[in-house]
Order: sequence, then structure tokens, then C-alpha cells
Amino acid sequence: MIQKKICMIGDFSVGKTSLVARFVRQSFSDKYLTTVGVKIDTKLVKSTDGHDVKLILWDIAGNDTLTTAATSYLRGSAGFLLIIDGTRLPTWESALNLREAVTKQLGEKPFIMLLNKADLTEQWEIDQELIDEKVQEGWILLKTSAKTGLNVEEAFSELATQMLKV
Amino acid sequence: MAKIPLSIAKYIRSMWMAETIMTYLHIDEQDNLIAWGGYPQHYGLDNLATGKSAIEQINFLEGLLNLPHTQVLQFMRVKEGRCAHVHIIPLDKGAWVLMFDATAEHERQQVMQQQLNELSIFSYRQSQLLQDLETAREQLVEEKNQLEQVSELKSKFISTLSHELRTPLTSIVGYTKLLDEAEQADARQANYLVSVKNNANHLLSLIDNVLDQATLEAGQVVLNPNSCELKQILSDLKSLFFHTAQDKGLVFEINIPVTTPVRVIIDELAFRQVLINLITNAIKFTEKGFVRVTINWQDERLEFAVVDSGSGMSQEAMQKIFTAFHRESTAKTLPGAGLGLAISHHLVKLMEGELTVESEIGKGSVFNGFIQAPIAHSMNLKDEQNKRSQLGATILVADDSIDIRHLMEIYLKEGGYTVSSANNGDEAIFLAQQLKPDLILMDMQMPVTNGYEAVKQLRRDNFTAPIIALSGSTLTADKNYALEVGCDHYLLKPVFSKELLETIKPFLNNA
Ligand SMILES: Nc1nc2c(ncn2[C@@H]2O[C@H](COP(=O)(O)OP(=O)(O)OP(=O)(O)O)[C@@H](O)[C@H]2O)c(=O)[nH]1
Ligand SMILES: [Mg+2]
Repeated sequence: MIQKKICMIGDFSVGKTSLVARFVRQSFSDKYLTTVGVKIDTKLVKSTDGHDVKLILWDIAGNDTLTTAATSYLRGSAGFLLIIDGTRLPTWESALNLREAVTKQLGEKPFIMLLNKADLTEQWEIDQELIDEKVQEGWILLKTSAKTGLNVEEAFSELATQMLKV
Repeated sequence: MAKIPLSIAKYIRSMWMAETIMTYLHIDEQDNLIAWGGYPQHYGLDNLATGKSAIEQINFLEGLLNLPHTQVLQFMRVKEGRCAHVHIIPLDKGAWVLMFDATAEHERQQVMQQQLNELSIFSYRQSQLLQDLETAREQLVEEKNQLEQVSELKSKFISTLSHELRTPLTSIVGYTKLLDEAEQADARQANYLVSVKNNANHLLSLIDNVLDQATLEAGQVVLNPNSCELKQILSDLKSLFFHTAQDKGLVFEINIPVTTPVRVIIDELAFRQVLINLITNAIKFTEKGFVRVTINWQDERLEFAVVDSGSGMSQEAMQKIFTAFHRESTAKTLPGAGLGLAISHHLVKLMEGELTVESEIGKGSVFNGFIQAPIAHSMNLKDEQNKRSQLGATILVADDSIDIRHLMEIYLKEGGYTVSSANNGDEAIFLAQQLKPDLILMDMQMPVTNGYEAVKQLRRDNFTAPIIALSGSTLTADKNYALEVGCDHYLLKPVFSKELLETIKPFLNNA
């Protein structure tokens, strides 16, 4: 069977662990328990063209820059999810920096940007203009919610598809 | 150093492996698991099978084998509640994977990191809130500015409207007074006349109040402090209110200690207005009992109190009473625009004083205030003036309103002056040159050539006699402009006989 390693990249508290929990265990908790180091999970998905793919999910401790520890976790990744917290604009900036650092490490790899916490519309801080600009550059962006499950399955299987294309 | 026997070395190794819960995996170059040792179950690696793919059995190895250098992966959580430091060491075309327990260390780090992150999110939210507050504040300031502009426009509008009303009223009040003085009317006509007079006076004072409030709000009032006789002011007030109080069956008293200085320097008009407003108010809200005014002077301060036994007011009403256009609810049926107290409060402040109120429903009210009032060194100005004679002086009256012209003529002739009149600026210039009057009374708002232009022209032509401006405008700017172009004094309409004569007298004496 095909196995692919993917990393969850983003600033702290953007919802990386929650997205994995929603995807792997269909669960969500409002309580924040920060990740130290890395946590490994696996899940089988079907790519859009019908292949079974075993995803090895590396849920990495969040940070606004790429730490040395994170650099070593990255090795061997076939792709990554770049996650921001839509209610905190600075996490968008962190994501852009992280994307650059990751690409330097891994070379160009498929990734999808997730604008998480889409359920918190009242506190939303990301202008559509910012999003449009990235779409123009060819990025794939999805509004997700680990809380409601919005676009979570889609995000992972879309990434799987992208990785299989390579 | 003594050599450690093999048995001891083995013993130490097993102790150490147990302590660190060490696990090792040996993997060949085809990525198959060749051997393992230690405690793999501790890390969730159950049922390891040698000779089979290591990557399929040990998920985290995906992508990490066959790398040229040693990989160190710290704090890897491989199983719920278990954490390891993982070392992947390439050796002999294969690799060795070593795992050491880091669960306790991970827990300590986790607590610290949690606090740091939570603090950081908290301070971000806090700064967002502050920013929101700042935005809200800016919006409020903007709205306040807009409201102030509207309020200023309103004041200007009211001021203009009041001027328009004042001019015809001046005629009405003046002629009524003259009719009254003529005493030709029979009893019935005399009654009608009293009624006309009272109502016209009331209307005039209403307009004055509105105008005063508008001017005060526009910040255009300038005080004019002068030496004045306190006792005279108070006795005027006493006769002014005596009848009204008596009609309501109220005791009306004004108390002034003997030690009070005879003359003090205050803005007499403003001070009168404050007391008139306070007393009017007190009488209005008192159905029985008394209204008492007390005056006291000390340390260059004139203190005054107006006490009544009237209906009093609530705590809430007291807080609003000095606000313009506010009226106590019980007063709905009583006349007035609710401006008197606001104006008084404002005027007292301008006179560097304070006006406060104490009251309770059903127990009457006490208005306490003070203003700055330095002692004036007494001089007998009146006698001095009277000694000199100015009888027979010629005065030129320029005003486009025939009614006002006539009224001024009557007042001036009563004062013993010779009067000529002009009905616009050009005519005034012409007559001034022909007649060489001793003084000109010049209306500022006239058609053709207005008063300002006429005065300018006259001063250019070396006309040196005093010119007194007559105007309906309370705006300081208008007054200043009149003085700037060459007027010697500025009289505000409506002008009555006494004020007019007293104003022009010193100018003719000096001449
Ligand atoms: N409302 C809402 N809350 C979310 C969502 N995703 C995550 N959260 C909350 O956000 C907080 C952080 O979530 P985590 O999943 O721990 O974030 P993380 O990116 O793993 O954080 P680190 O491990 O510190 O890097 C938690 O309190 C979650 O409950 C979401 O989609 N909607
Ligand atoms: Mg996490």
C-alpha cells in the first residue's frame, strides 16, 4: 500500500492537533492542550482517483518560525497542511514565513492552506483580498473548522490527491 | 584504572536500559527489520516481526531511512501518554533506531509551553480589545464634533432669528412706554396699555434669554466689569419683584449686611441677570411662604443665596437644572423656555464663580453662588458729570428704520439735545459734513452704505466727533469690527431712554 508522510505546519494554537483529532477520531475538544515535540497518527484515505493511501500524520508543535526540532521532523514529508487561525491575523503572516522555510528544506512539495476556525465568523480577521491574492498565485486554500468538521475530510483527501500526482 | 569484568558491564547495561527504557531496532538496506531489543511495547510497538518491512510496522520511519546522517527526533509521542527521543543512525548500509523514554521531561516542558502560549493569546486578545476601544473612542469624538457643529449652527440660527425679532419689538416697547408716560389714556385704555406693555416686555425678555443662551453657547460673550453700586442693584431688584411676590402672597426679602462695600467691580448686567433669573425661578415655583435673597461680601468675593419655601426638586432634576432647555416637569404649565438657570450658571462661571443648588421635594430650594467682586474705590462720577453741561449739543441719528429714528429723537430731545436724522450711510456722511454734529448715533445694518462703511468714510474725512454704534448684533466680532472702523462705543438694541442718555453723556463731556 502507498504510505505518505504529511506534516501539520502553523503557528501555535491554530488547530493542528484539533484537525487531526477531527480527521482521525471524529472528536473535538474546546480545551487547549499545546503540543510539545511531535505526535504521530495514521489514517487510511481514498484519493479522488480511488487509490488507498495510508497517511502518516505528523502533528508538530506550533511556532511562528521553523525551529531546529521542527526541521528534523519535516524530513521525508511528501506534503504538508499549512494552517492558520482565521481569528488571529498574525498567524497568516507566520504561515507565509513557515511555508518559505519548509520549501527551502523539502523543495517544492504539495501543500494546502487551511483557514481554520471558520465557525468563529464574528471574530474572523482575514480579508477576502488576502485570500484572493494567494489563489491568484495558484495556492489551494480551504476554510475549515475542526469544531464543526467543515472541509476537514476534504482537506486531507485533496492533499493526498495532490501528493499522488507528483 | 581497573578493567570492569564483562558480567558487571552486562549488569550496568541492563540497569541503564531499564532506566531509560531503551529500545533498539536494527534495519537492513532493504528496510527490513533484522533485530530488536529493549522495551518496544512501551512505545506501542507490539508484535514486531523480523524479516519484514520496518516502515510498514513502524509508521514514523516513513521517509527517514536511507538518509546519510544521524537523525534525532525529540519528544516523539508514539503512543498515548508515552514520549521518546528517537535517534536514527545509518550504519553498514542499514540503520539502527534507538528510542529513549522522555515522558517525564515532556510533561514538564508541556506545562511551561502551555503557560507561554496561553499568555501570548491572552495578550493578543487584549490588544485587539484595546484597539476596538480606541476605534470606538475615535468614532465618538467624530460624532461629538459633528454634534458640536450642528449645535453651533443652531446657536447662529437662533441668534439671527432673535435679532430680526428684536428690532420691531424695540419699537413696540419704546412707543408703549411713551404712550404710558403721556398719561392721556382713560382708565380702560390704560389697562389695555399695561397689558400690551407687560406682554411686550415678556416677549422681549424671552427673546433676550434665547439670544443670551445662543451667544453663551457660541462662546461669544465678553464681560464688561465696571464699578457699580450694590445697594442700587438690590433695591432695583426689590422693586422689580415686589408686586409679583405680593400678588402670590409671598414674603419677599433681600438681606444685605451693613459691612458690604458700597461699590464693587463686577459686570452689572450679568450679575443682575443672574439674580433676576434666580428670583424669577424661585417665585415661579413657590406657592406659599417666602423667597429670600441674601448677599454677603468677603475676600473680594460676592456671595449670594436665593432661598425659597417652594415645591423643591428631586435629586435627578437637580442634576439637569443647569442644562439649557431643560424644564422641571411641574413647570410645564408655566411660561419660559427653561433657559434662565442655564444662563445664570454660565454667567456665574464667566464671572469666575460658582452656582450650586440644594433641594428636596416639598422642602424648597437653596441656590448658592459667588462671583469675583473686588472693591471699587469710590468716586462721585455722577456729580462730576452733572456739573458739566452738555445741553444744546447736536446729535445726528442714522437709522434706516423710521420708527427707531423717531424713538431715538424723542429720547434725545427729552435729554435736551438737538437732533437731526439720516436714513442711510450716505445721507449720514453728507449730513455729518454739513452739520458738524457733536456726536453721531449710527445704526450698523443699513441699506445702500451700511454703518461700518459710513464710519470708515467719516474717519477718513477726518471727522473726529464721537460716533456711537447702534446694533442688534450680540456677536463679539461685530462689536469689535465697529470699534475697529472708528466707533467709540457700541450700543446694543433695544436701547431705552435712560441707557442712551447715560451712554452719550460722558462722550459729550470729554469733547
Ligand atoms: N471554534 C473553534 N475552535 C478551534 C478550532 N480548531 C481548534 N480550536 C481550538 O483552538 C485551540 C487550539 O487548538 P489546537 O488544536 O490545540 O491547536 P494547535 O495548532 O495544535 O496548537 P499547538 O499544539 O500549541 O501548536 C483549542 O482550544 C481548540 O479547541 C475550530 O475550528 N473552531
Ligand atoms: Mg497541537
